[in-house]
Amino acid sequence: MRDQIRDSVGASVASPLAVRGATLKFGGVTALDNVSITVRDDELLAIIGPNGAGKTSFLNVTAGFYRPQEGRVELFGQNVTGLRVDQIARRGIARTFQGTHLFAGQTVIENIMVGRHTLMKSNVIQAFFHYGPVMREETEHREAVEEIIDFLEIEPIRNRAVGTLGYGLRKRVDLGRALAQEPSILLMDEPMAGMNAEEKEDLARFILDVREARKIPVVLVEHDMGVVMDLADRIVVLDFGRVIAEGTPEEIQKDPAVIKAYLG
Amino acid sequence: MDPSGIFSTSYRADRRLVRTRWQAAALALFIIVMLAAPYLVSGRIIAVLNMMLISAVIAVGLQICTGYAGQINLGQAAFMGVGAYTAAILASKTGLTFVLTIPLAGFAAALFGFLFGLTAARIKGFYLALTTIAAQFIFHFAVLNLPSSWLGGSNGVTVPAAELFGLRLVTETQQFYMNLAVAALMVAGAFGIIRSRFGRAFVAVRDDDVAAGIMGINVAATKANAFLIGAFYAGVGGALWAYMIRFVGVDQFTLFHSIFFVAMIIVGGMGSIVGALVGVFIIRTIQEVIATVGPNIADSVSFLGGDIVFAGMNVILGGVIALFMILEPKGLMHRWNILKSSYRIWPFPY
Repeated sequence: MRDQIRDSVGASVASPLAVRGATLKFGGVTALDNVSITVRDDELLAIIGPNGAGKTSFLNVTAGFYRPQEGRVELFGQNVTGLRVDQIARRGIARTFQGTHLFAGQTVIENIMVGRHTLMKSNVIQAFFHYGPVMREETEHREAVEEIIDFLEIEPIRNRAVGTLGYGLRKRVDLGRALAQEPSILLMDEPMAGMNAEEKEDLARFILDVREARKIPVVLVEHDMGVVMDLADRIVVLDFGRVIAEGTPEEIQKDPAVIKAYLG
Repeated sequence: MDPSGIFSTSYRADRRLVRTRWQAAALALFIIVMLAAPYLVSGRIIAVLNMMLISAVIAVGLQICTGYAGQINLGQAAFMGVGAYTAAILASKTGLTFVLTIPLAGFAAALFGFLFGLTAARIKGFYLALTTIAAQFIFHFAVLNLPSSWLGGSNGVTVPAAELFGLRLVTETQQFYMNLAVAALMVAGAFGIIRSRFGRAFVAVRDDDVAAGIMGINVAATKANAFLIGAFYAGVGGALWAYMIRFVGVDQFTLFHSIFFVAMIIVGGMGSIVGALVGVFIIRTIQEVIATVGPNIADSVSFLGGDIVFAGMNVILGGVIALFMILEPKGLMHRWNILKSSYRIWPFPY
């Protein structure tokens, strides 16, 4: 999918994800005001901003939860504005959630297997009879899931119901589930929120490893400044729904508009 | 959790349903007892078992729709009715063999169920429950008000005996083997669906439809599919019912019956195929005991009058179900799983 689009549009034009002039309003509140953000190949882009700046709204517009009143969302040069969430997900976006949105009734393995759903092809009649090809497909995808479980170092809990896990482990399963989709771009909504220092360090390491292993761009919405300054290649700062600054961590730290927005 | 000493050495082995030698032995024993049942127990019990097998098919379908996919369905008896009428009309008017009418009945019910599943894309919970009640009334209304040459109206439809290669399945024992074969196939298929990507998608939609969407699962289509599969099971069960009773009438498929199917999966345990089977066994057994004991009580305390006694029996049945929901809201399978795991990890608490 990714390669095809590259071939047809040309690598220089089609960035993995581009939001152009997105405006999102809820009644009188303007959550996003003409926001344009382009994600480059293989970069770790952090989006920061004070509370209510529109960070999560931006992710929700990108993933298709909200439809912007103006502007468009492009994945590898292809306009995906107005598509359903699952259609956008199948085009290569994966997302982790602020807090957790795991499937509480399933085990860790099953949760991550759900991420493989669209990569599996068996139909319901084959599933009913559950003969050779279905078994082979299940085994094949189970292998991929086990690799992710090894990678995230959650082997001992693979058969536990996720409802019984602690917060830090749940976030790891959430990341594993997103990785199982084999996305072309990974969005993470405040992955560090509510974690202790040790859990933050673990997760930061996993995020860096994901970039290393998968070579996919990661968009990180985050409150924790230390994490952002350490991890990000580039930072976009939002305030009141507008982009007020953009640049490397060093540039952002010195930017007067950013200092004003954060300190009032 | 497996008992100690049981280790899977391949992913295929890790997905097995039968995991220990004792489980295999228990399953084999169960199958042998079922196959030999007509030689072991009286005809009365076989009639009860027939009823249980048919209910099992329908309750397993409801378990997929409500227990796994989380879509409340109070129209399962209407879906069953669509299947029963389809089989009855096909068998009486075209003379098709039951080998074809049973799956066709399933497909007819699945189509009817799918239409109501489409509404689940937009509404949830209480409102969805109301919509599925509408399925009951639409079914009732259609059968009674369409020309009686089509569906028999209030007179119902008489069904010819199921026939295979000239052998007419008329006795309860013959029907028992047909019901057993179909129920075994449908239950095995349910395990297949639940262990596949579809089963996981159902649970995903039930537990968190926002996250299910971001996984690339089409939430609306998955809900509609859950209704489609659940109704297919109801339709197959309905066809078996038609061949067993040899007559279908609209009052065999009322909201009252739908609620009993819901009671079965609640008593057995939501989200468990085996739970649905356990629930069928318990509810049908209680109903049978009450049907047996009721007339005796009515005779011995004749001054009360039969009506009050029979009404009282239904109150007792309802009371038993209510008691279950209060004391064991997660169903018997939940309790069984707790017992099983505490036995396996004994003497440690966790």
